[in-house]
Amino acid sequence: MIGMIMFLAALFMLMLGFPVAFTFGGLALFFGVFSQGMDLFAFMPYRIMSVMQNTVLMAVPLFIFMGVVLQRTRLAEQLLTSMGRLFGGLPGGLAISTILVGALLAASTGVVGASVVAMGLISLPVMLAHNYDKRLATGTICAAGTLGQIVPPSIILIILGDVLGLPVGDLFRAAVGPGVVLIGLYIVYILIMTRFKPETAPPMPEDNSISRKKEVMNALLAIIPPLALIVIVLGSIFTGIATPTESSALGGVGAIVLAIIYRQFSFQMVWNASKDTVKVTAMVFAILVGATAFSMVFSYTGGDYLLEEWMLALPGEKWGFIILAMLVIMVLGFFIDFVEISFIIVPILAPVAEALGINMLWFAILIAMNLQTSFLTPPFGFSLFYLRGVAPPQVRTIDIYKGVLPFILLQVFVLALIVIFPEWFGMSSSY
Amino acid sequence: QDTFTLKLAETWGPNFPIFGDATKNMAAMAEKMSDGRLKIQIDSANKHKAPLGVFDMVRAGQYDMGHSASYYWKGKVPNTLFFTSMPFGMTALEQYAWFYYGDGMELMQEVYEPFGLKSFPGGNTGVQMGGWFRKEIKSVEDLQGLKMRIPGFAGEVFAEVGVSPTNIAPGELYTALERNTIDAVEWVGPALDLRLGFQQIADYYYTGWHEPATELQFLVNEKVWEKLPADLQEILRISMRTAAYDMLIQSQHENAKAWANIKEEYPNVQIKNFPDEVFQAMYKANNKLLKEAAAGDELAAKIIKSQEDYLKDSRAYTDISERAYLNTMGSVE
Amino acid sequence: MQWIIKLDEGLARLSNFCGWVACVAMLLMAGNVFFDVVARYAFNEVSIGMQEMEWHLYSVVFLFGIPYALRTDGHVRVDVLYSRWSNKAKAWVNLTGALVFVVPFAYLIGIYGYDFALDSYNMGEGSGDPGGLPQRWIIKSAIPVSALFIAIAGLNMATFALRVMSGEKQYEGENSAGGLA
Ligand code: NA
Ligand code: NA
Repeated sequence: MIGMIMFLAALFMLMLGFPVAFTFGGLALFFGVFSQGMDLFAFMPYRIMSVMQNTVLMAVPLFIFMGVVLQRTRLAEQLLTSMGRLFGGLPGGLAISTILVGALLAASTGVVGASVVAMGLISLPVMLAHNYDKRLATGTICAAGTLGQIVPPSIILIILGDVLGLPVGDLFRAAVGPGVVLIGLYIVYILIMTRFKPETAPPMPEDNSISRKKEVMNALLAIIPPLALIVIVLGSIFTGIATPTESSALGGVGAIVLAIIYRQFSFQMVWNASKDTVKVTAMVFAILVGATAFSMVFSYTGGDYLLEEWMLALPGEKWGFIILAMLVIMVLGFFIDFVEISFIIVPILAPVAEALGINMLWFAILIAMNLQTSFLTPPFGFSLFYLRGVAPPQVRTIDIYKGVLPFILLQVFVLALIVIFPEWFGMSSSY
Repeated sequence: QDTFTLKLAETWGPNFPIFGDATKNMAAMAEKMSDGRLKIQIDSANKHKAPLGVFDMVRAGQYDMGHSASYYWKGKVPNTLFFTSMPFGMTALEQYAWFYYGDGMELMQEVYEPFGLKSFPGGNTGVQMGGWFRKEIKSVEDLQGLKMRIPGFAGEVFAEVGVSPTNIAPGELYTALERNTIDAVEWVGPALDLRLGFQQIADYYYTGWHEPATELQFLVNEKVWEKLPADLQEILRISMRTAAYDMLIQSQHENAKAWANIKEEYPNVQIKNFPDEVFQAMYKANNKLLKEAAAGDELAAKIIKSQEDYLKDSRAYTDISERAYLNTMGSVE
Repeated sequence: MQWIIKLDEGLARLSNFCGWVACVAMLLMAGNVFFDVVARYAFNEVSIGMQEMEWHLYSVVFLFGIPYALRTDGHVRVDVLYSRWSNKAKAWVNLTGALVFVVPFAYLIGIYGYDFALDSYNMGEGSGDPGGLPQRWIIKSAIPVSALFIAIAGLNMATFALRVMSGEKQYEGENSAGGLA
């Protein structure tokens, strides 16, 4: 019960505007020490150590570094505006480009903190500079950055594979379909939305001094170098030269090489990029450390047993079970970190699902899709915090909260599609 | 009568098969046999977040008990290495005999005593497989620069014969092997390997030599142990011993089932032995490393000698019993 | 008041020092990972020691980055109300939060982190893998050292809030790492 009270307290305290990470940590301290005593915090060094030894998270600073260098050398801007130009007079070109770049990044990392922040750095300034609506811009970036969870490789899928005992490769293959459909729907949404409200996503100004053909040619030429960088990152993974985590270092070094080629390089630039990277990385990891303290107190005060009880009360009939399980995971996702959900709740649901003859692969993809949504749901969606952390002051938290709403609805829609038409995604609901 | 609730931290995640079953099994037996006076509450790695902190947490009293494997503590206490399984060492049956009827338990206690811990056998996997390889190993030459995920002491032996042991985060292992970032992966045995899907991406499944009888361990904080009344101590001891033995049986069962599954569904998978030349080289490397360990530490020397002597005597009997029987079966089939 | 300004600036220097350490570690880490990939792919050379160095450096990046980001107001806030408040109200939130949340949280991590590192030192803990790095206590002590600097940065947040209350300083029109993007 203490855990639940702590969540309500957090909801209130966060509104005061004290840094999120330390609000989590401070509340954990109060609730933890009062209910369990100081010694509960003897677990903290172990938890911090487990973050330190989680080498997959190394992708966070490395990807952010790549993003910062691309931004500081204006190569990111060049990439996005050129892509935007290809859309000619069509509004929303920048947003669609953002989603496409986000999809490429998603295919090279499974760490949301890395891709949301990198996407924020790369595309938020460009969209704002071209008078995009703040909500549309931030919503697009959060959604595009969070794609990394469902597009393989992905941490959620790896954890679910471990918890459910499914081969990671099968999960990765099964997630490709839903990922592609999601990306497609994002684009369709932006096309439709901007048709009705073109002022929220103005098209790139046309360059009348040159012919359209020439403009397209120029744009294509300008896209090549930064796009090549991303393709190299992806290629290094597909050819096995590097693991996904390591590929992010190739991206950082590659961005510096590009800077040298474009005569944008200076040691000062690299040092400043490192400084920016450290600041943003620290912001992301402070949240992780604060959140691990929070979840430590939650589970050591019996929160995990309470959740277990709730889960065991779900109905024992296939469709009722699926629908309620999805609803419960979604609601919990508003408050609880996806790792906790995967580890506490999924092991309880798994045997029930199996007994009901549910295809576990399908079930796992449903959960992954659902948990991906939890990154976007206010008030605790981590993607929202991460983007807020790098956004300029005129973008308010509330803009981001409102901006992601349509994308959350799209995700729920795709989730429903997978529930109702598993065969569209190459799966079946039972085995 | 007082009831006791002991908190146990295990290295494995929740629902981890076989290893985690041993812990649950032990806890259930202890509670039943004590008529509820001894309860064991299991926290999996998702809760304490410190799979390799079990030793420290039980020592510090943050947990009363642990379930893990002794060789994980090699970096802290080098002599803990010897109580899991040694390359070219004893089989499970021989090793249990060494633990319970030879000097095993006593020597293990000598290693753990200074840290206020008691250690007990915690379940055996049987012979672990030698790993999944993307290409066939025909000579020692083929091992040169071969990138393999193989941790710990076995990794040192492999390194001596030219392999490059490589660290890969477990979550990235499958992708790394699939895309030739690494050439080989050592994991456990069919039942647990099947979950990671290596059979889909590697054709050569090598037989084991490096961990012929991997024994897990139960750790108990000594102060906690002493607080237990004599009957509960005995109940706990029997529960641990029974659960350990039961895990060996379960491993045999699950591995056989999983192997049948692999054979049927993945005809690409071929079972291979390393060539004799490779075994010879690894045997030599192993002896060299053991000699080095024995030279540096008196207790290590004592343990190594005890294991060598016991293996020699015990194996002589295994040769005329188990091995003779399996050979016989081989010739009539 | 004068001494608070002196103290505030002194503490700020310590946080900036942390930032410097983290920046150097960041560049070294990028180079380290790049080097390991090239060595493995091009030369079939793998050093577990170098691979472990990756996470040692990465740990330094975020552990020393956190106090630095505190000083530079880089930690994200929910600004639904905060952004509309006066400097004085913001100063109160920051003063209270720093003393009630940041400093005690860092204190607890610090004392338990100290035991954690000391234990490792006493046992002479090193890597259990072939060719791994010895002296694990060094990286483990980054936890209590980081906690110490976080506590210092917390005090720094308080001294700055006092300066704002006195009207001598102002919170700039933004918060969090804002404007990076
Ligand atoms: Na991904
Ligand atoms: Na193994």
